[in-house]
Order: sequence, then C-alpha cells, then structure tokens
Amino acid sequence: MSRSITLGQYLPGNSFIHRINPRLKILSLILILVLLFSLQTYAGLIVLLIFVLALISTAKVPFSYLLRGLRPILYIALFAMVIYFFFTRGGVVLLRIGIITVESEGVREGLFVITRLVTLVLFSLLLTLTTTPLSLTYGMGYFLKPLRYIGLPTEEVAMIMAIALRFIPTLMEESQRLMRAQIARGADFETGSIFRRAKSLVPLIVPLFVSAFRRADELALAMEARGYRLGARRTRMYEDIIAPGDWAVLVFVLTLITVTFVFGL
Amino acid sequence: MFIGTEKLTHTYMPGTPFAAEALKEVSFSISQGEFSLVIGPSGSGKSTLIQHLNGLLRPTSGRVFFEGKVIGFDKGELLRLRRRIGLVFQMPEEQFFSETVYDEVAFAPRNLGLDESNVRAGVKDALEKVGLNAEHIQSRHPFQLSAGQKRLVALAAVLSLQPEVLILDEPTAGLDPAGRRNLFNLLDKLNSTAGLTVLICTHHLDEAAALADNVLVLHDGKLVLAGPAEEIFARRDQLCDLGLTLPAVTEIMHGLAEKELPVRTNIYTLDGARKEINKLKGRREK
Repeated sequence: MSRSITLGQYLPGNSFIHRINPRLKILSLILILVLLFSLQTYAGLIVLLIFVLALISTAKVPFSYLLRGLRPILYIALFAMVIYFFFTRGGVVLLRIGIITVESEGVREGLFVITRLVTLVLFSLLLTLTTTPLSLTYGMGYFLKPLRYIGLPTEEVAMIMAIALRFIPTLMEESQRLMRAQIARGADFETGSIFRRAKSLVPLIVPLFVSAFRRADELALAMEARGYRLGARRTRMYEDIIAPGDWAVLVFVLTLITVTFVFGL
Repeated sequence: MFIGTEKLTHTYMPGTPFAAEALKEVSFSISQGEFSLVIGPSGSGKSTLIQHLNGLLRPTSGRVFFEGKVIGFDKGELLRLRRRIGLVFQMPEEQFFSETVYDEVAFAPRNLGLDESNVRAGVKDALEKVGLNAEHIQSRHPFQLSAGQKRLVALAAVLSLQPEVLILDEPTAGLDPAGRRNLFNLLDKLNSTAGLTVLICTHHLDEAAALADNVLVLHDGKLVLAGPAEEIFARRDQLCDLGLTLPAVTEIMHGLAEKELPVRTNIYTLDGARKEINKLKGRREK
C-alpha cells in the first residue's frame, strides 16, 4: 500500500543536486517550467530532456523511481496523443481510416507536447526526489511570505504543512498496523460489493481518526510546552543559507533562458 | 512441530533504498499447550516474527509452520489459520471502533459469519473468559472503560474467535502493576485450564518468567537463544550482554549466591524465593 503513495518520495543522498538551497531549487524549477513552455523547437526540448536526465543520473536516482513517478501522467499523455494525432490538420496524410486521418503536423505537435510533459515531470521529480518534504515546505513558505502583508499567517501555514507532511508516514504505518490488527480479527477489506467494502473500512477509519486526534492533542501540548506561540518570531535549527554555488545554479538557469530567447529555440 | 519457522527472513520495503532486514533466518518450534516468551530489546524483530505466525506478513524467504504443515497464503487457508491463531497486537484497545463493548467483541464472530444467537453466546463466553461481567459491561462504551478493562475487552475481542493459539505482542504495555499482574494471571489460566498455546512478546520478565515453558531471545533480527526457560535464564551473563535483565527475584538469588550462600539461582517467583530463603534460614538455625 505504501508503495503506491509517492508523496514522501524523498531519496536520501548527498549529491550536488541534493545540496542546492531549497529556495533556489524551487525558484529554478519555476523558471525552467516557464522556459519549457516557451520553447518552440525540438532541438531546445531535446537539450533540456538530456540535461534533466544527466542531472538525475548525478543525483543517483534509480531508474525505477522515475518510471513510478511518470506513471500518473501516462493517461494524460495518451489522451493528448490521441487528440493531437487525430484532430490536428496539416502536412502529409500518414494514415487514413475512413474519414479519420492522421497527419504529419499532428504527430509532430503531439510528440512535442508529450516530450514537454515528460521533461516537465522529470524536472519536478528531480526536485521532490532530492529535497526533503520539510525543506520543500519551508522553501515554499519563503515565497509565500509577502502574503503576510495582506494578513495571511504564512509561517503558521508552513508549520501546518510541515506537520502534515511529517505525519503522513506515521499515519500510513498506523493504518497498515490497524489493517493487520483487524484482519487478525477476521476483517475482510478486499471482497464484496462496493457498499460492503466501504462499510468494512469503518473498523479502520474510526481508530485512525481517534489516534490522529490524540496525536494532534499531544503534539499541540508538546509544542506549547516548548514555547511555541502563534505569531511569535521563530528561528530555525538548520539555517537557510544561500551559498555561492547556489547562486551559480540560478545564474546558469537564467543563462539558459537568455540563450533560448536570443536564439529563438 | 506445532508452531514454528524455518530460516524465516523478512525484509521491509525490499528493492528500495529503505530496505531493512527485520528477521534473519529465524528457525524455532514450539509444541501444543506450551507457554512461550519472545524477549529481546526494542527493534529486535519480535513484532515482525509473531505477525508471520498467522500469515499477516509474508516471509521474504523461509517458511512458517502450523501443525507441522507449511502455512499457505490462499484466502480460505489464511482465514482458517487466523481463526485458530488469535493475535493480539500491542495496545490493542487502539483498534476499538464500536459504540458498545458488545459490538467490539462481536466483530470477530460476525466476521466468521456466525448467526446472531451464536455471536451472543460467543461474546458472553469471551468476556467471561477474561474475567469481566458480560451483563454489566457489554452495553458500555469501550472508550469509557479503565485502561485495564480496555485491555481485557481487547483480549476478549480476539478470544471470541475461539482460537487454539493466543499470540500477544507486549500485552502489558502501558498497564499499571495491578493490571499487569491480573493479565498475566489470566494468561496463565488460559494456558493451563483452557489449554491454549500461548506465545507472548514481553519486557516484563518479573511476572512472565515464572509462567514460561520456552524462551526465544531475539537480537537484531536473529534468534540468538532458544530453549526451555530454565536453560535460557541460567545464562545470565549472555542475557546481560544482550541488554536483557533477569527477573528481580532471580537477580536477588544471584546476589545471594555471589555472597557464597548456598541458594539455587533458577528461581523466578516471589514464592520460590521465599521458600529458598526460609530453607537457608532453617539450615542456619540448626
């Protein structure tokens, strides 16, 4: 069960990619996504695809993780392909089935869109596979900071997110333990009609809620005991320092964008 | 071999960077009607081991036996196995989801597909087996009970399957000394009078040692010692090296023996210690 959940997909490592400052990593990803959508030519796209694959190999991410990460977009890609292949007109007719035709322009654009989608997902995977969920959250919290001025409690939101992320594996583990415990009491989660199966989840969900509330209560108490107060300024154990190497990454990404625009790739 | 394993190995999350070998080639066997303890430091693989015995976890390699046969993993076989081998998890009251004690205990027999009159008889029987007054308690809300009562209800919720084997993971975790004593007495009674084969993981040797026929010692996923209780508890130094301690009374007897007093050290109960010390005193007075 836990294997199909890709949220906590961080892979511990110590590569260059792992060590880039999370704030700059997020910013670079956003810039690269913008770049991807402004690319017009296959040449530029292929360069970026090779680039991301090279980065992934330096981060020592196993190939199976990439495939697993790409699985969710399989259907979107297939759908896009069908739409483009059959409904875009132009170029040479490659295939004719009755009144439906597949034309070369459609194939060209369809493949372009799919390659772009795959590259986009690979870049995003590179971020989530090499950054701990916690630093991701704090990184995003940083970009949300301006929203404080219109009265949004951004630090608290970041804390809520961080806690939620922290407890996902715990709750997953707990739900598996509960599932096994109820199976030991003869529960059956797999067979029967949808209605029956939904009903069979009650022995799982009720205890899960009870323990989630209990945990939340205990955590709130523990946090207050250690001086957590709403709205108070907090420092962090691991300070978020941007090193020269991190700036180099940003400069590199900006250069990529400039080159793309100058040469019209 | 009534229950046992052969070269049982279990790896969590195999094939990922998070793979962890929780059990390494564990082989043991226990006979019907015995009372066995699984001891070992936290994280030594106790819980993983016992969850294999009724097929909740599948071995990564190796085999698990019940009644001399390798357990199979098709659905019908697993259901029969889990009906006969009751497994009580750690902190079992955390599984409660019903609004009454009755429904909680009735969950297992209802899952077996028994009709309501049989379910009623089963619930009453199970609650009485754990020493609770069925009439009095069955309509109460399980969350309103005391910690000790909750634990007993959780035990009844497994006993209502009418298993022949009872496996418990840290059955006394989080109970006060009185609740602990009560629970161990109950387990002893289930073993000696009702004839259940009992296997428990525990850290509370003070109470459990006296009940045990067999002891399995796990350390770091490996079975380091296994055998009759007297033999295992006689290896005090080895247990100490593994970070385990003997029951307090046994330690006292060892302390006396070290002062070169002629006492036996294979004593696990207060009663036994009292007799031995009285014997010593008697000899002195002569």
